[in-house]
Amino acid sequence: MENKIFTEPVLKNTESLGFFEMIQPPEDISEHGHLIDYLFNYTTVMNIFFFFLVCIGIFGFSYLYHRKRHPKPYYTYGNKKTHITVATVIGIAVFLGIDLNITRLSNNDYTGIFINWPDESKEDVVKVQVLAQQWAWNFRQAGADGIFNTQDDVVTLNDLRVPAGKKVVFQILSKDVIHSLYFPNARRKTDAIPGRMTRMWIQFNKPGNYDIACAEMCGTYHYRMAAKLTVYEEEDFNHWLAEAHQIYNSVNDPEDPNIYWGWKWNSTSSNKKLGMN
Amino acid sequence: MAFYEQHIHPKPTTFLSKYVFSFDHKVIAKQFLWYGIFFLLVGGLMALMIRWTLAYPGQPFPVIGHFLFPTSNGAVPPDTYAMLFTMHGTIMIFYAITPILIGAFGNFCIPLMLGARDMAFPLLNMLSYHVAVISGALLLGSLFVPLGAAAGGWTSYPTLSTLIGSPGVGQTLWTLAIFVLGVSSTMGAVNYITTIITLRAPGMGYFDMPLTVWGLGLTAILNAIFLPVLGAGCLLLIFDRVFGTTFFLAGAAATTGTGDPVLFQHVFWIFGHPEVYILILPAWGIVSDLLSFFARKPAFGAKATALSMTSITILSTLVYGHHMFTTQMSPLLTQTFMTLTMTISIPSAIFFANWLGTIWKGSIRFHSPMLFSLGVVFVFGLGGLTGLYLGTVTTDLYLHDTYFVVGHFHYTMAASVLLGGFAGTYFWMPKMFGTIMNEFWAKIHFWITMLGLNGVFFAMMLVGYGGMHRRIFNPFIYEFTQKLIPLNTFATWSAIVMGFAQIIFVVNFVHAVFFKKEKASDNPWEVGTLEWTIPSPAPHYNFKEIPVVKCGPHELGNPNLSNGRDYQYQTEELA
Repeated sequence: MENKIFTEPVLKNTESLGFFEMIQPPEDISEHGHLIDYLFNYTTVMNIFFFFLVCIGIFGFSYLYHRKRHPKPYYTYGNKKTHITVATVIGIAVFLGIDLNITRLSNNDYTGIFINWPDESKEDVVKVQVLAQQWAWNFRQAGADGIFNTQDDVVTLNDLRVPAGKKVVFQILSKDVIHSLYFPNARRKTDAIPGRMTRMWIQFNKPGNYDIACAEMCGTYHYRMAAKLTVYEEEDFNHWLAEAHQIYNSVNDPEDPNIYWGWKWNSTSSNKKLGMN
Repeated sequence: MAFYEQHIHPKPTTFLSKYVFSFDHKVIAKQFLWYGIFFLLVGGLMALMIRWTLAYPGQPFPVIGHFLFPTSNGAVPPDTYAMLFTMHGTIMIFYAITPILIGAFGNFCIPLMLGARDMAFPLLNMLSYHVAVISGALLLGSLFVPLGAAAGGWTSYPTLSTLIGSPGVGQTLWTLAIFVLGVSSTMGAVNYITTIITLRAPGMGYFDMPLTVWGLGLTAILNAIFLPVLGAGCLLLIFDRVFGTTFFLAGAAATTGTGDPVLFQHVFWIFGHPEVYILILPAWGIVSDLLSFFARKPAFGAKATALSMTSITILSTLVYGHHMFTTQMSPLLTQTFMTLTMTISIPSAIFFANWLGTIWKGSIRFHSPMLFSLGVVFVFGLGGLTGLYLGTVTTDLYLHDTYFVVGHFHYTMAASVLLGGFAGTYFWMPKMFGTIMNEFWAKIHFWITMLGLNGVFFAMMLVGYGGMHRRIFNPFIYEFTQKLIPLNTFATWSAIVMGFAQIIFVVNFVHAVFFKKEKASDNPWEVGTLEWTIPSPAPHYNFKEIPVVKCGPHELGNPNLSNGRDYQYQTEELA
């Protein structure tokens, strides 16, 4: 008897994909995901170049200096001036050619964009609080009053809806163990840690439905701690949000302590100057 | 150089004193070797179960599935899957690689290559093995307790590894086992360092030591410094689990005060990153020597190689933060760790250049140890370069905790170390057991292993780039991973091929140790380091007379040699 219990989903037809289509990362739906892709590709090109040199060394020398073709070895300690120079130049070339370049690129992206928090007092950003638990994602957006942790908040389970073209700021906590909020389509993840708030901001650009996953091992059902991300056109989002405000205002029971897992929004603009994360 | 007299005691006569409670470093090395090979097979079987599940989730594991998992029709259930990858990682790192590369080769090579009769502390050496056995028993025992073995990943991050996430006794036993193993490895490390400092043969300076000893010595230094740190972390975790402290607890469960789960990550990785080099340094050392021995010329820039390994050892202690970019350390720390990580490239590239310089204009003999050494150069090149993606913070934000990481560290730690270990085993086999392994089957073993491991580990990096994250039981419940199914299946079949290739090794090894009649000569590879100046297998107390060293370890191909050999022993005056 074939056991089918673990293969729940209907699998997409992947037969038609070529090899290079198969190994493409998920579609980039964010404003800045291409920076990460660019850095990845840049590193790849440099790596291929240097690994090609290594391969020339291994295979070329193995062929040329096989004992049959080259019975008399060249007796040297490799301590001649030219030898030392060549080895040093290779070391420095790798460092300057790849390492310093990718460090500079990565550092610029990191400080210029990924931790350059939008100024919430000036910019219109979408604020989302995320509470991870075994094994689900709770998302909270403020109600019509704009204040978090009140009765009219839009609180969803494994269902995140955001508008396209606006910066979305996440504040992330975990209830029990460490999780990691992972948007494969935006090339980003940030850990959800109990007792220590982490933040992330992303600007999504392409409307549609996408996957959210948990990237950090969090227990037996880690593999299905999945959530859905819906990116709306801004208009649709406002429409949905207005409707959701009304619905949640009547659905949420103000006496129920369980709905108050949120917290006071911790504005990023206030501690940006401190260099905090 | 030797600081004190090394006495020769009479040979042990009883079975127990000869094979079980032996002070002889060669016997202890063999004990560690068998111990490591046993765990290598256990960990390898677990790897196959993991791979099978990733390619065919919910389908019964072939042959032994129905026996092992009767309640799920022979398929690996999700909770067991978590235990499997946790135990696979733990076993491979602490119970297979460590005993083989450090326990076996460290014990065997250090005294022989230094011209010593035994380790500096033979009793401590014996204890280190027996403590390792206790640790192994604790770990294997944890597989059979209620609620099963540890299942929090080999990193065992709290709060998952505290009572909140893992209530069973399995996690406590795991933590205890690692603590006890830390004690064992620290004993070994102290011994190695002392031996290298005090028992070098007269005339042998540090740069006259073979690079194998350099690698093992640097490993021992890292072990002695950082294993106690891991031990401290494990102890605090045990306190949290057993005595109700809250060092690592936070969030809703921390009812009696809060600690910080991220603290454990700092403690773990301040050990964990050097651990990577603890595992790879012996392999680097072995490869540096073997490339020279089989290219029949001196190691190119041997001093620079030794110094590069030393500077990597120092740098390895300063870069651990790149494992924690996604926890959002302060930007200043993030930038610092990223930059420091990148500087490791310089010494790595220099000794890579030296490796290639060693085979340049050599007269290469392609015996099996040489093939495996060249294999290490190839796979470590791939593994090292792919580390760059993970060292830069922005690409790490995408790749962290994906299969790209898994592929990368299997290239560096599994592939390189395994090939290095095989190279060493084939090479020192005559000195260890007095016989030589079958060369033909050794080469077959090399090529199939090489094919299989590149298939599985490269495919892992590709699926990781495709976004598939780690430690997931069924990767195909996400839309973005479904197109990766064929690659996962390919990786699984590569792993199966690689797994079966190891049968060739085991048969070859067991045959050579127990059944082979034909004895190896004293110096079958024609090299000049001190262990080859004595009979094969190495006799009781190694050296009748403590040798006096007069030249370096890589004196091959010297045109001034006139005695018909193309190499000279370290005990001979430089021609």
